[in-house]
Amino acid sequence: MSDANDTGPAPFDVRPVKRRIWQRLSLVWLVPLVALGISLWAAWQSYIDRGTLITISFENAAGITAGETIIKYRDVTVGEVEDVEFSVGLTDVLVHARIDKTVAPFLDDDAEFWVVRPDVSVRGITGLETVLSGVFIEGNWDTDADVAQYEFTGLEQPVLTRANQRGTRVVLRADDGGSIAAGAPILHKGIEVGYLEKPELSFNGQDVVVSAFIESPYDRRITSSTRFWDTSGFSVSFGTGGVSLDVSSLASIIEGGIAFDTVVSGGQPINEGHRFDIFPSEDAARDSLFMDPNAEILEVAVLFEQSVSGLAVGSEVRFQGIRIGEVSNLNAIVVGDAASAQVRLQAILAIEPSRLGMGADATAEDALALLSDFVTRGLRARMVTGNILAGTLFVELVEVEDALPAIVTLTSGDFPVIPTTDSQISDVAATAEGLLARINALPVEELMDGAIDLMDSFERLANDQYTRATPAALVALLDDSRELINSDDIQAIPGDLRDVIGDLDSLVAEATEVGLIADLDAAVEMAGQVASNVERATQNLPKITADIEALTTRANELELEALVASATASLDAIDGFLGTDDAVAFPREANAALATMRELLDEVREGGAVANVNAALASANEAARAVEDAVSTLPALAARASELVDQTEAVVLSYSERSRFSAETLATLRDIQEASDAISSLARAIERNPNSLLIGR
Amino acid sequence: MGSAGQGHSLITARDAGLVACQQCGQVHVLRAKVCKRCEGRLQSRDEDSLQKVWAWLIAGMIAYIPANLYPMLLTSTLTERSESTIIGGVVELFEYGSWGVASIVFIASVMIPVGKFIAIMYLAVSVQRKSKANRHERHRAYEVVEFIGRWSMIDVFVVAILSALVQLDTIATINPGIAAVSFALSVIFTMLSAQAFDSRLIWDADRTQQ
Repeated sequence: MSDANDTGPAPFDVRPVKRRIWQRLSLVWLVPLVALGISLWAAWQSYIDRGTLITISFENAAGITAGETIIKYRDVTVGEVEDVEFSVGLTDVLVHARIDKTVAPFLDDDAEFWVVRPDVSVRGITGLETVLSGVFIEGNWDTDADVAQYEFTGLEQPVLTRANQRGTRVVLRADDGGSIAAGAPILHKGIEVGYLEKPELSFNGQDVVVSAFIESPYDRRITSSTRFWDTSGFSVSFGTGGVSLDVSSLASIIEGGIAFDTVVSGGQPINEGHRFDIFPSEDAARDSLFMDPNAEILEVAVLFEQSVSGLAVGSEVRFQGIRIGEVSNLNAIVVGDAASAQVRLQAILAIEPSRLGMGADATAEDALALLSDFVTRGLRARMVTGNILAGTLFVELVEVEDALPAIVTLTSGDFPVIPTTDSQISDVAATAEGLLARINALPVEELMDGAIDLMDSFERLANDQYTRATPAALVALLDDSRELINSDDIQAIPGDLRDVIGDLDSLVAEATEVGLIADLDAAVEMAGQVASNVERATQNLPKITADIEALTTRANELELEALVASATASLDAIDGFLGTDDAVAFPREANAALATMRELLDEVREGGAVANVNAALASANEAARAVEDAVSTLPALAARASELVDQTEAVVLSYSERSRFSAETLATLRDIQEASDAISSLARAIERNPNSLLIGR
Repeated sequence: MGSAGQGHSLITARDAGLVACQQCGQVHVLRAKVCKRCEGRLQSRDEDSLQKVWAWLIAGMIAYIPANLYPMLLTSTLTERSESTIIGGVVELFEYGSWGVASIVFIASVMIPVGKFIAIMYLAVSVQRKSKANRHERHRAYEVVEFIGRWSMIDVFVVAILSALVQLDTIATINPGIAAVSFALSVIFTMLSAQAFDSRLIWDADRTQQ
């Protein structure tokens, strides 16, 4: 070492060249640089890709879990809940969530969020998937990017209408929300075309308003003349067509439902949010078609002294049969001072001026002026029965002839008062009473009296002594005839005649000799004349006898006794019937049947049938009397016939005693014989065929 | 010589004009550049060792950040989908009472990587400052770090095995998350960092640069 130090040159101070820092840098530094670069890039990427933070406040965040609960839009996940916390004061639950930045710009002020939970309703089960996956938040917003919002208030109930759903939203107004529920269907001709959203009380608390969504294209059916009505539940109507049960759909029974229809054309297209009224029934809705809900209404009061039972709010107000309004209120008010205070029932009538024919722009004042004018001319209000069965009434404005002067009272109370007149209330009881009164007024008793008279006449006729004597007289007549024919004188006539003939022979012989023949011829001629006289006198006898026989036969055939007995019996029966309680109760029991009989009886009465019957009975009476009269003359006829026979007999006898009239007598007797033959043949004919008398042969 | 002069009593190969092959241990003269046995590159001292250590270490640490922030496992079952980070998984396991598994995962995935970072940083800083203290302990620490570093990959293997096994479509599926890749990278970078460290530098502290 020291040698080297001494002898050799100083050792080289060998130093490595200080390399510059970039020369000393190893390439391995690229690795952390790349790693850093990648990391920074990834961090930056994830930062800029990071969703937009929004805050949704819910009242109830049941099931929402930070980091798990997702946010869906149209069933696509668009975000995730990052944090759940309470707001200041613990009033709300704040849910912080990240929304995809591509979606976030669309979250403007129409964005709505709600928590989807399983829901079982009449119309089905929704949100079933959340049973397994847990709840999720569903959002709904339209596709227009507006001013983006970052804080939202969550809904407690899912919205029914998607923002991109096409259709029209209208606002319905109802007096009572009992029949409408959120989600209830809206039907048009039975097809579900929309649904109701949540009903809410209106601002002034008077009505219930509910937003209704009508899906496209059905919303084109809605115009300003569309009417909505309540179809909830079912309706049972009882009318002349029987009982009808009307059920629209199962869902509407439970949840209620609204139907609409546009019956008349000419309505204006509506804008979104048009307001409609919900009518209680389809009929009411259709009735209102001609009623403009915005039209001016004239309210007038009517004071009734009698009960307004049967009148209700909504009852019609008619003017000459046309509906012009309805009863809007009913109450009782006290009129007069303390001493003469009386309770009056006040009905407020809401009258539409347009229905009075005043044009659409008529004001209530105009209508009142018109009504006042009418009232001075006799217009009065009264209650009229609308439906007898239901006992409903409506108010009618009628012009009363020679009504007491009255005017519309403007001063008392809040409303102008229209004077009243007697009401026409006919309820069921009154109608039934009227029917019974009319039945009572029917001439039933007169009818009975007429019938009894007829029967009496028959009885009198049958019991008449002459009627009874008739057969006996006839028998006597026949006996007389037989006696006459069987009498010795008559029997002797042949013998006498033989003698007479013998005498005549001798007479003829004598006459031939003494020329008596001419005299005899003359005598015979005279006798022929006498005989023809007698014949003339007697030629009516067969006819009379025939008449008598006919009458007798007819009387016999009438079986007068049986007839009288049966008539008596029937009269007794009628008497007994009229005397029984049943007959007394008859009108009462017949009430129901008489309801239909009433009209028949009216017709009968108008047609004069009763009068005809009476007349018929009267003419029958007359006929019976005529028969009676005719019968009463029969004995006289018989007597006259007897007399004639007697006379004939006397003549015959006297002639038989006088030989000088023998010739005449012979002729006469021949004629009598002929007459007797005729009578006997007649009698035989009558015996053979009694009916021939009746029928005239 | 006493323990204080222990360093001085040691003679390094470099002092003796020798250089050993790092791969096969063959000793050459200092001038030799290539091992005549294994043809490996001969280097008495790696001039860029510390640079490499720092570079890999930083890369490993960078990779370790997403490994902890992002989910390691993406577990999807029928009803839910869960993502668990390393720490989240440990906490979850611990809450379920599997504290044994939790501690294994915690040691393998958190303690060892973090310990490695600290150890390597300590070694590098101490070499740069030419610290003469605890040179034997530092050498042992280096060996421990190099040995134990590979075990951190156990976490990655678990994820890989689970992902391969649990693929039951909708019923249950496990997928590796971003953290698995990041963690694997972090472990690899850290191992490279440890390898890049030239432990001979520990012993050069009391020698002037030649």
